Amino acid sequence: PRSLKQAKPVPKSSRALRRKKTEPAIASSLIKSVFSHYVKMPVAREAFKVIEKCSEKYFMQLSSDLEAYSSHAGRKTVEKVDLEVLMRRQGLVTDRMPLEVLIERNLPLEYRKLLIPVAVSGNKVVPCK
Amino acid sequence: GRRRRMKRTAPRSTLRKIIKKYKPQLRLAANTDLLFSSILTFFSFSLLKVHLNFLLFLNRLAEEARINAFEKKSKIIKPEHIIVAAKVI
Repeated sequence: PRSLKQAKPVPKSSRALRRKKTEPAIASSLIKSVFSHYVKMPVAREAFKVIEKCSEKYFMQLSSDLEAYSSHAGRKTVEKVDLEVLMRRQGLVTDRMPLEVLIERNLPLEYRKLLIPVAVSGNKVVPCK
Repeated sequence: GRRRRMKRTAPRSTLRKIIKKYKPQLRLAANTDLLFSSILTFFSFSLLKVHLNFLLFLNRLAEEARINAFEKKSKIIKPEHIIVAAKVI
Protein backbone atom coordinates (compact mmCIF):
# COMPACT_ATOMS: atom_id res chain seq x y z
CA PRO A 1 0.00 0.00 0.00
CA ARG A 2 2.90 2.33 0.64
CA SER A 3 4.06 2.30 -2.97
CA LEU A 4 0.54 3.08 -4.10
CA LYS A 5 0.40 6.17 -1.98
CA GLN A 6 3.67 7.44 -3.30
CA ALA A 7 2.46 7.58 -6.90
CA LYS A 8 3.52 10.93 -8.26
CA PRO A 9 0.72 13.37 -8.94
CA VAL A 10 0.69 14.92 -12.37
CA PRO A 11 2.43 18.30 -12.22
CA LYS A 12 0.08 21.20 -12.74
CA SER A 13 1.99 22.75 -15.60
CA SER A 14 1.71 19.70 -17.84
CA ARG A 15 -2.00 19.49 -17.17
CA ALA A 16 -2.43 23.08 -18.28
CA LEU A 17 -0.48 22.34 -21.42
CA ARG A 18 -2.67 19.41 -22.28
CA ARG A 19 -5.79 21.47 -21.86
CA LYS A 20 -4.58 24.04 -24.32
CA LYS A 21 -3.91 21.46 -26.95
CA THR A 22 -7.46 20.09 -27.08
CA GLU A 23 -9.32 20.93 -30.25
CA PRO A 24 -12.32 23.21 -29.92
CA ALA A 25 -15.41 21.07 -29.98
CA ILE A 26 -18.95 21.18 -28.69
CA ALA A 27 -19.12 19.74 -25.20
CA SER A 28 -20.06 16.09 -25.37
CA SER A 29 -22.52 16.60 -22.53
CA LEU A 30 -24.37 19.19 -24.61
CA ILE A 31 -24.51 16.91 -27.64
CA LYS A 32 -25.69 14.12 -25.40
CA SER A 33 -28.48 16.07 -23.78
CA VAL A 34 -29.70 17.62 -27.03
CA PHE A 35 -29.62 14.35 -28.93
CA SER A 36 -31.37 12.33 -26.27
CA HIS A 37 -33.96 15.09 -26.01
CA TYR A 38 -34.76 14.71 -29.70
CA VAL A 39 -34.46 10.96 -30.10
CA LYS A 40 -36.69 10.00 -27.12
CA MET A 41 -35.16 6.53 -27.02
CA PRO A 42 -32.32 4.85 -25.16
CA VAL A 43 -28.99 5.37 -26.89
CA ALA A 44 -25.96 3.09 -26.66
CA ARG A 45 -22.86 4.68 -25.23
CA GLU A 46 -20.75 4.00 -28.32
CA ALA A 47 -23.42 5.67 -30.43
CA PHE A 48 -22.68 9.00 -28.79
CA LYS A 49 -19.10 8.81 -29.99
CA VAL A 50 -20.37 8.41 -33.54
CA ILE A 51 -22.67 11.40 -33.04
CA GLU A 52 -19.72 13.50 -31.90
CA LYS A 53 -17.78 12.55 -35.00
CA CYS A 54 -20.78 13.41 -37.14
CA SER A 55 -21.04 16.81 -35.48
CA GLU A 56 -17.39 17.46 -36.21
CA LYS A 57 -17.94 16.67 -39.87
CA TYR A 58 -21.06 18.79 -39.81
CA PHE A 59 -19.12 21.82 -38.60
CA MET A 60 -16.43 21.25 -41.19
CA GLN A 61 -19.08 21.27 -43.89
CA LEU A 62 -20.88 24.23 -42.33
CA SER A 63 -17.85 26.47 -42.21
CA SER A 64 -16.92 25.84 -45.82
CA ASP A 65 -20.54 26.43 -46.86
CA LEU A 66 -20.64 29.71 -44.99
CA GLU A 67 -17.39 30.76 -46.58
CA ALA A 68 -18.76 29.96 -50.01
CA TYR A 69 -21.93 31.97 -49.43
CA SER A 70 -20.23 35.04 -48.02
CA SER A 71 -17.44 35.11 -50.61
CA HIS A 72 -20.05 34.73 -53.32
CA ALA A 73 -21.64 37.90 -52.01
CA GLY A 74 -18.23 39.57 -52.00
CA ARG A 75 -17.93 39.70 -48.22
CA LYS A 76 -15.46 38.43 -45.71
CA THR A 77 -17.99 38.39 -42.93
CA VAL A 78 -20.75 35.85 -42.47
CA GLU A 79 -24.06 37.66 -42.19
CA LYS A 80 -27.49 36.56 -41.06
CA VAL A 81 -28.57 36.19 -44.67
CA ASP A 82 -25.93 33.55 -45.34
CA LEU A 83 -27.33 31.36 -42.59
CA GLU A 84 -30.83 31.78 -43.95
CA VAL A 85 -29.78 30.83 -47.47
CA LEU A 86 -27.94 27.83 -46.09
CA MET A 87 -30.94 26.65 -44.12
CA ARG A 88 -33.11 27.08 -47.17
CA ARG A 89 -30.77 24.87 -49.15
CA GLN A 90 -30.74 22.30 -46.37
CA GLY A 91 -34.51 22.22 -46.67
CA LEU A 92 -34.99 23.38 -43.12
CA VAL A 93 -36.44 26.73 -44.09
CA THR A 94 -39.21 26.54 -46.66
CA ASP A 95 -42.16 28.69 -47.64
CA ARG A 96 -44.29 26.71 -45.23
CA MET A 97 -41.70 26.72 -42.49
CA PRO A 98 -40.22 30.17 -42.07
CA LEU A 99 -37.07 30.73 -40.08
CA GLU A 100 -38.97 32.53 -37.34
CA VAL A 101 -40.96 29.40 -36.57
CA LEU A 102 -37.80 27.32 -36.31
CA ILE A 103 -36.30 29.88 -33.98
CA GLU A 104 -39.43 29.92 -31.87
CA ARG A 105 -39.54 26.15 -31.60
CA ASN A 106 -35.90 25.47 -30.95
CA LEU A 107 -34.28 28.37 -29.17
CA PRO A 108 -34.92 29.49 -25.60
CA LEU A 109 -36.74 32.71 -24.92
CA GLU A 110 -33.73 34.92 -24.27
CA TYR A 111 -32.25 34.08 -27.69
CA ARG A 112 -35.60 34.30 -29.40
CA LYS A 113 -35.93 37.85 -28.18
CA LEU A 114 -32.67 38.71 -29.88
CA LEU A 115 -33.48 37.16 -33.22
CA ILE A 116 -37.12 37.97 -33.77
CA PRO A 117 -38.14 41.59 -34.09
CA VAL A 118 -40.49 42.61 -31.34
CA ALA A 119 -42.28 45.89 -31.14
CA VAL A 120 -41.28 47.70 -27.96
CA SER A 121 -42.65 50.89 -26.48
CA GLY A 122 -41.93 54.11 -28.30
CA ASN A 123 -42.74 52.62 -31.69
CA LYS A 124 -39.32 51.00 -31.98
CA VAL A 125 -38.78 47.56 -33.40
CA VAL A 126 -36.05 45.55 -31.72
CA PRO A 127 -33.78 44.29 -33.23
CA CYS A 128 -33.72 46.54 -36.29
CA LYS A 129 -33.49 44.85 -39.64
CA GLY B 1 -40.82 14.06 -15.49
CA ARG B 2 -37.82 11.86 -14.90
CA ARG B 3 -36.07 13.12 -18.01
CA ARG B 4 -33.60 15.88 -17.37
CA ARG B 5 -34.30 19.12 -19.13
CA MET B 6 -32.29 19.75 -22.23
CA LYS B 7 -29.48 22.23 -21.89
CA ARG B 8 -30.58 25.37 -23.62
CA THR B 9 -27.64 27.74 -23.61
CA ALA B 10 -25.65 28.13 -26.78
CA PRO B 11 -21.88 27.62 -26.44
CA ARG B 12 -21.15 30.66 -28.54
CA SER B 13 -17.44 30.98 -27.98
CA THR B 14 -16.98 27.31 -28.77
CA LEU B 15 -18.98 27.68 -31.96
CA ARG B 16 -16.84 30.62 -32.93
CA LYS B 17 -13.66 28.67 -32.20
CA ILE B 18 -14.80 25.69 -34.24
CA ILE B 19 -15.54 27.81 -37.28
CA LYS B 20 -12.25 29.61 -36.76
CA LYS B 21 -10.46 26.27 -36.76
CA TYR B 22 -11.71 25.38 -40.22
CA LYS B 23 -11.82 28.85 -41.74
CA PRO B 24 -9.43 31.17 -39.90
CA GLN B 25 -9.97 34.09 -42.27
CA LEU B 26 -13.75 34.00 -41.99
CA ARG B 27 -15.42 36.57 -39.78
CA LEU B 28 -18.81 36.26 -38.17
CA ALA B 29 -21.03 39.28 -38.06
CA ALA B 30 -21.84 40.43 -34.58
CA ASN B 31 -24.67 42.71 -33.74
CA THR B 32 -23.22 46.11 -34.36
CA ASP B 33 -26.46 47.92 -33.93
CA LEU B 34 -25.99 51.10 -31.96
CA LEU B 35 -29.23 50.53 -30.12
CA PHE B 36 -27.53 47.69 -28.35
CA SER B 37 -24.46 49.49 -27.13
CA SER B 38 -24.98 47.74 -23.82
CA ILE B 39 -24.36 44.13 -22.93
CA LEU B 40 -26.27 42.90 -25.96
CA THR B 41 -23.40 43.76 -28.29
CA PHE B 42 -21.81 40.57 -27.09
CA PHE B 43 -24.59 38.53 -28.58
CA SER B 44 -23.84 37.52 -32.07
CA PHE B 45 -26.89 36.92 -34.19
CA SER B 46 -25.23 34.74 -36.74
CA LEU B 47 -23.65 32.58 -34.09
CA LEU B 48 -27.07 31.98 -32.59
CA LYS B 49 -28.27 30.88 -35.97
CA VAL B 50 -25.30 28.57 -36.29
CA HIS B 51 -26.39 27.10 -32.98
CA LEU B 52 -29.95 26.78 -34.23
CA ASN B 53 -28.67 25.05 -37.32
CA PHE B 54 -26.65 22.65 -35.21
CA LEU B 55 -29.70 21.84 -33.07
CA LEU B 56 -31.72 21.12 -36.17
CA PHE B 57 -28.93 18.94 -37.51
CA LEU B 58 -28.99 16.87 -34.32
CA ASN B 59 -32.77 16.74 -34.55
CA ARG B 60 -32.61 15.30 -38.04
CA LEU B 61 -29.91 12.86 -37.08
CA ALA B 62 -32.00 11.72 -34.13
CA GLU B 63 -35.09 11.18 -36.23
CA GLU B 64 -33.25 9.25 -38.92
CA ALA B 65 -31.51 7.10 -36.33
CA ARG B 66 -34.81 6.32 -34.65
CA ILE B 67 -36.42 5.28 -37.91
CA ASN B 68 -33.42 3.04 -38.52
CA ALA B 69 -33.64 1.45 -35.12
CA PHE B 70 -37.35 0.78 -35.62
CA GLU B 71 -36.69 -0.88 -38.93
CA LYS B 72 -34.09 -3.15 -37.34
CA LYS B 73 -36.51 -3.81 -34.46
CA SER B 74 -33.95 -2.52 -32.01
CA LYS B 75 -35.02 -1.01 -28.72
CA ILE B 76 -31.96 1.20 -28.39
CA ILE B 77 -30.01 3.40 -30.74
CA LYS B 78 -26.77 1.67 -31.75
CA PRO B 79 -23.73 3.15 -33.50
CA GLU B 80 -24.67 1.57 -36.81
CA HIS B 81 -28.05 3.32 -36.77
CA ILE B 82 -26.29 6.65 -36.41
CA ILE B 83 -23.90 5.89 -39.24
CA VAL B 84 -26.72 4.99 -41.61
CA ALA B 85 -28.61 8.11 -40.53
CA ALA B 86 -25.59 10.33 -41.06
CA LYS B 87 -25.24 9.06 -44.61
CA VAL B 88 -28.82 10.00 -45.39
CA ILE B 89 -28.40 13.56 -44.15
